[in-house]
Amino acid sequence: MKVPIKQYYNLLSTYLKTQWRWVAILTLLILVTIGLKLANPQILRAFIDTAIEGGEWSILIRLALLFFGIALLTQALSVAATYVGETVAWTATNALRLDLLDHALHLDATFHKDHTPGKMIERIDGDVATLSNFFSRFVIDVAGNGLLVMGILALLFREDWRIGLPIFVFAIITLFLLIWIRKLAVPYWTQYRRLSAEFFGFLGEHISGREDIRGNGAVSHVMHRFYEFVQRMYPVRLRSSLGGYAMWMANVGLFAFGHAVAFGVGATLWRASVITIGTVYLVFHYTELLRGPISEIRTQITDLQRAEAGIRRIRTLLDQQSKLTDEGTLHLPSGPLAVSFRGVSFAYEAARTPQDEEEAAPEMVPALHNIDFDLAPGTVLGLLGRTGSGKTTLARLLVRLYDPQHGGVHVGGKPVESVKIADLRRAVRKVPQEVQLFRASIRDNVRLFDPSVTDARVLNALDHLGIRDWVLGLPNGLDTMLAADGGGLSAGQSQLIALGRSFLADPGLVILDEASSRLDPATEHLLEIAVDRLLENRTAIIIAHRLSTVERADQIMILDDGQIAEFGSRNALMADPTSRLSRLLQAGMEEVLV
Amino acid sequence: MKMRHVLWQLIKYRPGLYAADIVAWISIMLTELGAGYIAKLFFDSLTDSSPASLSLWGIIALVVAAGVARILTILAGALLDIRHRYNMGSLLRRNLLASILNQPGAQTLGRSTGETLNTFRDDAQMVEDTISWIVDQISFIAYAGVALVVLIAIDARITAIVVVPLLSVILAARLVAKHIRRFREAARRATEQVTGAIGEAMEGVQTIQLAGAEKHVLAHVRELNKARLHATVRDRLLSQSFHSFFWNTGTLCTGLILLAAAGGLKSRTFTVGDFAVFVIYVGVLAEVVAVIGDFMMHLKQGAVSMERMAHLANDKTASSVVRHAPIHMSGPLPKIVTPSRTDRDRLETLRVDHLYFSWPSEGGAEVRSTDAFALQDVSFSLSRGEFVVITGRIGAGKSTLLRTLLGLLPMDRGRITWNSRQVMDPATFFVPPRCAYTPQVPQLFSDSLQSNIRMGLPSTSEQLEEALRLAVMEEDVPHLQAGLDTLIGARGVKLSGGQRQRTAAARMFIRDPELLVFDDLSSALDIETENTLWNRTFARGDRTTLVVSHRRPALERADRIILLKDGVIEGVGTLRELLERHEEMQSLWGGGGLEQAA
Repeated sequence: MKVPIKQYYNLLSTYLKTQWRWVAILTLLILVTIGLKLANPQILRAFIDTAIEGGEWSILIRLALLFFGIALLTQALSVAATYVGETVAWTATNALRLDLLDHALHLDATFHKDHTPGKMIERIDGDVATLSNFFSRFVIDVAGNGLLVMGILALLFREDWRIGLPIFVFAIITLFLLIWIRKLAVPYWTQYRRLSAEFFGFLGEHISGREDIRGNGAVSHVMHRFYEFVQRMYPVRLRSSLGGYAMWMANVGLFAFGHAVAFGVGATLWRASVITIGTVYLVFHYTELLRGPISEIRTQITDLQRAEAGIRRIRTLLDQQSKLTDEGTLHLPSGPLAVSFRGVSFAYEAARTPQDEEEAAPEMVPALHNIDFDLAPGTVLGLLGRTGSGKTTLARLLVRLYDPQHGGVHVGGKPVESVKIADLRRAVRKVPQEVQLFRASIRDNVRLFDPSVTDARVLNALDHLGIRDWVLGLPNGLDTMLAADGGGLSAGQSQLIALGRSFLADPGLVILDEASSRLDPATEHLLEIAVDRLLENRTAIIIAHRLSTVERADQIMILDDGQIAEFGSRNALMADPTSRLSRLLQAGMEEVLV
Repeated sequence: MKMRHVLWQLIKYRPGLYAADIVAWISIMLTELGAGYIAKLFFDSLTDSSPASLSLWGIIALVVAAGVARILTILAGALLDIRHRYNMGSLLRRNLLASILNQPGAQTLGRSTGETLNTFRDDAQMVEDTISWIVDQISFIAYAGVALVVLIAIDARITAIVVVPLLSVILAARLVAKHIRRFREAARRATEQVTGAIGEAMEGVQTIQLAGAEKHVLAHVRELNKARLHATVRDRLLSQSFHSFFWNTGTLCTGLILLAAAGGLKSRTFTVGDFAVFVIYVGVLAEVVAVIGDFMMHLKQGAVSMERMAHLANDKTASSVVRHAPIHMSGPLPKIVTPSRTDRDRLETLRVDHLYFSWPSEGGAEVRSTDAFALQDVSFSLSRGEFVVITGRIGAGKSTLLRTLLGLLPMDRGRITWNSRQVMDPATFFVPPRCAYTPQVPQLFSDSLQSNIRMGLPSTSEQLEEALRLAVMEEDVPHLQAGLDTLIGARGVKLSGGQRQRTAAARMFIRDPELLVFDDLSSALDIETENTLWNRTFARGDRTTLVVSHRRPALERADRIILLKDGVIEGVGTLRELLERHEEMQSLWGGGGLEQAA
């Protein structure tokens, strides 16, 4: 396995380029520190030789004080290097986090179905955290420590080549052996991180579902699964941790060898009166000093194992491409939009899963068969059908959560793929079935963090929904923070917030997907007035399981098993006693009469 | 509970393993000590002409032997430490998970799943580190003790000159350590904000995509990232300065040795070998001080982590977090507990008398759901085979009533009786086989459809089929790619909304509880399906059901409707009775629903 230098280089150059000044300062700080480290043993030798030869006190004192001064300076430099290094690292990793989040936010629904939020946190935050050190210190430390090693060797050669050569050979062997051992551990690190991501995915999901677990008496089942993880993870954890220890053990063995060499060479040359006792000490001390940079390089390489696993997983994430192409250039007209489906067939595919994920999860197949219809601008379509008949799928195709396998979907006279996804979704607004709230202010929840939306517009939207006064009545008004998981609001209030988002968007086509399903009739009534306003001068598709929605529809479509069972104007269908709509209404009537 | 009690409790979990770990690490440090002494022997053999000194080859053999001994002790220490750490981390996570699943009022952890996972990941790791690093401290202290004895034997005066500054450094460290905790807490909070926001963004990815809000959400996370950068850099800067201050002490001490030993070296009473061993041992002594200093700092951070875990477990004393429990690292896994049904469990009547609930006033500026109105003096009863529906406006307290009854929220006052027996702890009482509950938005798990329904319940395929039939799910199953074994994706996203709710219903039906409790089960079902579901449920006459609903099929079928308004029961009766008597019901009924369509 080769060190993927090109990948490292790309990452480093991308995320450090903007901070080159800080990187330069950091480099300088580290170079000066290296110089000071090389100087210290020279002072010690001079001191020992001077003392043994009975030299002047004043010289000895001066040497000792010089030694002190250097020690203090090293201290100051290391604090400065920490500050600069950490800032560089966090700036770089934060940028990488945002890029990953950005990328993940643009992946299609097929991807997100297979990745729990817990797992994604591990990928976006956990994996990147392993790179923090890589960014701040890796190149500088490895290069810096490499320089320190070379400096030490050069100084030893200057003493005598018979000293320099054996220590040089020792240093080379040590480095190569340590790098070789590193390779052995990488697969275990990758494996451990993958298993750990799966474990936290499991935890996250079951923590969110704790009420369901308790309510169904399944606590012991969940604990059972937890223990399964405990058993599965240990062997992997053991092997990956031992990889780190192997480095240490190799280091210890190699340095025992290094000392043996230094002792042998030093003693032999001293006995031959080639070098002084101070120089023997210098050789010993420099050999010992090699331990620092080599073990630093070793640590950096251990970190690199982690970072490498992280980088690989980051690459896998970045290589995930959305199945949807976004190459559209056309623009949608303003105002209400026409809709047409031309022979559209769609089936959910089995998810394409990258190899580092769990086995591919099969998906449900049937969805839509040969759907063909037109909807004039400004009309309201009521979409009926049993659950699973394809209503939601049809809506998803309109906002390009998926692309159909056959046929074409047109909005405003343009094929949906010919319009930029962002523009399409601005003009076609789908109110999702399940409302997601964010731990942020009510303001940010309505405007979804868009700073260009003024309070006046937010309040205007809330006014349409009839909750303006309620919100303003809260102690902090629009600034009121919603609890984590949006837990502070009832399902009904959440729906209202979701509708408020659509008001702000001013779309030309609105798709309401059971938007009011969890509201009680009184609130629903409130909402209906708001919905009426939202639909004014807009095309709309309303998906509902209930017949009440039929009220405001101009056109009715009934889907059955992915096919259009009936499509026509509401009035015509209601007038025809043999139509499915009439029969449904009849059934509804019967229910009412029970 | 004090941090040291917490740690002691954890250490007692695997005492033998921990003791062996300590012995191994002391051995590692002692072999290192030996390697340092060999340097003295070497220099003495050069300068000392006495015949007693070792030959060069003898010394080289010693160096190699010491190296081998260190490698072996490190291997032993590694194996023991990895195993003990794994025990600690797993125990902490096990206890956290168990207390989250078992605590009443489980519904509000007060933080997002992302933040909670952070505690599972980092805080547990932090405490695991603390326990493991205690071993290091002990072995370092052993090293320091032996090293000091050797140094004093060589030259007591020089040893004193060197050791005094080391000690003063330890004292100085104590003064600084208290600031570190504050910075660390701030850094952790900032980290939580970031992971929480990422988690929410991933959970709500579709909402964000459909609203085209990707770049705004990114900007939001960017702000949180910035705050985290500042907090973390400050935290790291302080701990790093602290750290390097300790490490540098060694070098400063070498300077002291130079001054103190100059005379001895000149007069040859202090050999170059003595000097070498002093520099090595004092270097390691300084390392010991550095590590102990780091550890003191780490202890503070560990205490913060422990507090966060205790908070998550809703247990101020943290005793439930460090409780001894099997983690089943090896051997057969424990059997899944399925409580057996006894005659006493059979539901005849359930009575709720004078139930009161109010939200705790803490929580500050956070909105409490208006659906979470305080309950006042709520009383009602339910007999075997009855279908009782709780209805009312948004914010009337419908869900709150169910949750308080089931012990998911703590009641202030009131009495719940099952048959004639008072229920003392609703949270542990209202579970299968007595009761099963599905919340407003049911949660499913990324596993097969079948496992989601069974959730560990041993059941025959007939029972599974019957549960699917009752939940009106049987026709959907053949359409799924792998039938019952279909993996339904994270939170069940591969199913439609209606399928998810019916899966949740099947999960209840398979447990065949005495009492079925649904919080607005039918909201994503069409009328036809909902009717079928109720028909099948009541085909067997003795199913007792309590639901929150405002939907016609449920209201019309109800034996009794409890009409809630602002947390108080406004009326009880059949639909017809309530419509006659109560304006509230009329306005609820007239405000929407099916009549216009019909």
